[in-house]
Amino acid sequence: MSKNNIVSAENNLTKKDFRQIFWRSFTLLGSFNYERMEGLGFLYAIRPALRKIYKDDDEAYKTAMHRHMEAFNMTVAPSPFVMGITVAMEENAKRDPNFDVTSINAIKVALMGPLSGIGDTFFWGIFRIIACAIGVSFAKEGNIIAPFALLILFNIPNFLTRWYGLKFGYRNGSTMLTQMEESGKMELFTYCAGIVGVAAVGCMIASWVGLTSPLTFTISGSKIVIQEYLDQVMPQLLSLTATLIIFGCLRKKIKVVYIILGIIVVGFLGGVFGILG
Amino acid sequence: MSLIQAILVGVVAALTQFEGGWLGECKLREPVVTGFLVGLILGDVTKGLIIGAELQMMWMGATGIGPTAQLNIGTGGTMGTAIALTTGKGAEIAITFGLPVAVIMQFLGTLLMTAYSGVMHHADKLIDQGKDKQVEYMHYLCGFCDFMMYFSLTFIVMYFGNGAIQGIVDSFPEWANAGMAAVSKILPAMGFALLLNLLLEKDLIPFFILGFIITAYTDLTMVAVTAIAIGIAWIVYLLKSSSMQAKVDEWEE
Repeated sequence: MSKNNIVSAENNLTKKDFRQIFWRSFTLLGSFNYERMEGLGFLYAIRPALRKIYKDDDEAYKTAMHRHMEAFNMTVAPSPFVMGITVAMEENAKRDPNFDVTSINAIKVALMGPLSGIGDTFFWGIFRIIACAIGVSFAKEGNIIAPFALLILFNIPNFLTRWYGLKFGYRNGSTMLTQMEESGKMELFTYCAGIVGVAAVGCMIASWVGLTSPLTFTISGSKIVIQEYLDQVMPQLLSLTATLIIFGCLRKKIKVVYIILGIIVVGFLGGVFGILG
Repeated sequence: MSLIQAILVGVVAALTQFEGGWLGECKLREPVVTGFLVGLILGDVTKGLIIGAELQMMWMGATGIGPTAQLNIGTGGTMGTAIALTTGKGAEIAITFGLPVAVIMQFLGTLLMTAYSGVMHHADKLIDQGKDKQVEYMHYLCGFCDFMMYFSLTFIVMYFGNGAIQGIVDSFPEWANAGMAAVSKILPAMGFALLLNLLLEKDLIPFFILGFIITAYTDLTMVAVTAIAIGIAWIVYLLKSSSMQAKVDEWEE
């Protein structure tokens, strides 16, 4: 490692500058709004680097700032990868006057969809679920480790993805991306992660919903417990049925708020009349 | 609840909002974490954690993907747990109060996010004037408004609403408790349905069935089932990537 920590000699970008982007990337959603979404947050993260790149050209600096105030929206954890690519492309734009600067935002927009898809699957679908599941199992026993286990388990991938995403994005982001997309490996990897995700959800429905029916009848002197019959069909049948009905509503694009209202009405009446519990 | 406690609970609620905006979604908002913090403030960590676990299961699938979330589980979990602990009740009370708070707070949040559009236009002007540092202050301004709204609303409810809440909780009839208990049994299903909506594609259905059936009919723990799923996913990856490689080879020959 060189002593002066210079990453990009031409614009004097140092390791410190990249650490700054890394830390600032955590505030991406800080000024979220419905018009530019994370635009200002994105600009905030890379602005000091832009200043260095355009240190002797105030007009180009202003144009670049406007460029990154444009609407941008992405799952936050992979966003430093895009910031890395962006800084590399801005350096190209500075170096080469014929460089088409519209391609910078084109790349950013092109990455929003796929990276959010991958990011949501991993961070919301898998890392969060596993971290929370382990947190819950400690918390149920009142074990003080629970919140720490949750936070550490989630944030290890969160920090690593951000740090290495930024690094790779800057060094060889655009080439890596096209290669992975051409070979189809990324899609396969996401699919396999999905396998773990849906199996875990299936497992949690069976172990954590626990919806039952306390309903009993007495027909000609013998007591009939409905839940015993349901269990013979399949354990946790009601839990699975409830989940799948709600899932169907979601796929039919019924608003979540209405579904919650429906659950409250059905559940409350079911509870009051002793049908559900 | 003392003044200091109400202030601290307000800070926890504001922190859960900051978690998303300023701390990179590091998961401070999860009910297990807020349950712990509120328990610490109100002097019963164990109960805070247990209530947090119940809320966590209910909101397992509350994948508020960024700002499009439907529920503000951070503030909802914080207030719900705080109310359950101060009234000396259990998780049902946390859910009864936490859920409406989560819905209302999310609604108020969308109002803020609409208002911030105006801030963006001001930032545009500042760029034209070359005031780059002040552009950054606009970013901070949004954070300050966020913090103040979530802090002050939580503080006001906690400090001034105490007596009213206690009254409502005490006058809760038995049948209403049974109703809320059933609601709290179905709500976790909502969470898992949201997760399925995010993850489930046609080709993944067999693995979902596998996960459910193994757990429903055996005593295997969550860790065991996840490990099996990782094994299967690995095998699928190896098989598919080698068949992909074979296709590439064929094509090259």
